[in-house]
Amino acid sequence: MLTEGVSLIDSRSDRVVMEPNPTYWNPARRPTVRIVYDNVIGKDAGIASVASGDGRVDVVFDLTPAEAKAFPQSDKGRIQTKKAKTILTGVFNENKPGSVWRDPAVRRALNLAIDRQFVLDQGAYGYGTVIPAFIQPGRFGADPGMSPLPHDPEAARAHLEKAGLGGREIVIVSSPAWKEVVEAIGQCLSTIGLSARFVSDRGDLPEDFDIKLEWYFDWTPQYPVACMHREFFGRDATLRQGPEDPEFDALYEKLLHAPEAQTEAVVREVERYIQDRSKALFLYAPFTLFAVSERVAFTPYDTCMSELAETRIKG
Amino acid sequence: MDAQATGDPGGGAWGLHNTVTVVDPSPVNWLSITWNTMEEANRVDHDGIGQPSLAESWEWLDSETLELKMRDAVYQDGEPFNAAMFKLGFDKVQEWTNPHPPGAFLNFARDVTCEAVDDRTIRMRFPGGDSAALMKLRGMHLPSTRFWNEWGFIDPKTGSAEGHW
Repeated sequence: MLTEGVSLIDSRSDRVVMEPNPTYWNPARRPTVRIVYDNVIGKDAGIASVASGDGRVDVVFDLTPAEAKAFPQSDKGRIQTKKAKTILTGVFNENKPGSVWRDPAVRRALNLAIDRQFVLDQGAYGYGTVIPAFIQPGRFGADPGMSPLPHDPEAARAHLEKAGLGGREIVIVSSPAWKEVVEAIGQCLSTIGLSARFVSDRGDLPEDFDIKLEWYFDWTPQYPVACMHREFFGRDATLRQGPEDPEFDALYEKLLHAPEAQTEAVVREVERYIQDRSKALFLYAPFTLFAVSERVAFTPYDTCMSELAETRIKG
Repeated sequence: MDAQATGDPGGGAWGLHNTVTVVDPSPVNWLSITWNTMEEANRVDHDGIGQPSLAESWEWLDSETLELKMRDAVYQDGEPFNAAMFKLGFDKVQEWTNPHPPGAFLNFARDVTCEAVDDRTIRMRFPGGDSAALMKLRGMHLPSTRFWNEWGFIDPKTGSAEGHW
């Protein structure tokens, strides 16, 4: 294969083996090591291998917070974190025509019930950053004037009781990786007389669910709305759990046709729109977590991709 | 592949000392492998910032016209990379209705045109403008003639490249 990337693909099956491309035009990105993707060894076994230093595995991607927390003290391996372009957010189930979650004031009220820092600390061992909506402060499109929605349990209780949700059990569908996060959300809800029930995501959503937790990431070159916001709320969204939103679609069209100099301002407008309308249960930006062998200098990517051009063996 | 072509240090010298083994359980790890082994006009660095790659620069000449200057680079078989190779990649991706697995938001509109002005210069026209152009270019791979002739992105099971880029 002749592809001019930083690596040359050598074989692909149970293992993908990539060797450095000696003619690559940019010496600074020319790998110094062969990369082997082991597609057979399990994640748990891979983590154990890094911790033991047995040489079978050097880097394991996408650890859950619980897996990172459980990583043993070792002089052979470590947990490495990256403030990647990620979100963990709750998608409201607005599919039923009479759903209470179609009301932005009700969605906002549930947001007010959440102590995000508590959820992050209690549910994910602090591996993340609380953010206003979908974009981290300092990133392209982040609005310096935006803050996370406040934690105001009394206002939340009043609004939710008015909406007929007093004492209600909130059904939250989630990957098992975020079960502790759902439990922490439940602790927040318990302070206002509500509760949360975790339902493991098996692909077939129960009809009566209220919220689906989604982890998502932005791989784009400074174009987060197409990758993330659109995927949740756009006309062609795959994660939307409700009707189309013509206002969002109009903003997206505006972005697509914005001149380069105005693009970031429109991204900020989109970000403000989703927070103003409480389009999601906003939580936090999870760190990406890796188990890494001490013999390796690993360079993780904010895009969450396992691009490995800069990864080296130490020494 | 011979040792020179693959970067093999020779003499069976690949071993633990120069091999990094990874476990990436992501369902989209194929995309990472693609971005390790392919190249595009632009890329995103480890800090999440867009960077030039096979295009060394670009400029919007007006609200609908993007001009890119291509880098001087050579494929592993000695074929030069130039503006014509970019144009070939664009023509190939435009053959399909929905080539990208992540979705149609990565598609160029059907009325987008691409012209190799000279060996180094590409001019793309986006009627009505398209602020997502550089994001879309990040997903438009630019392999060699031999890749297109011998492999392409055709799924051997279906004979189609739809959703297979």
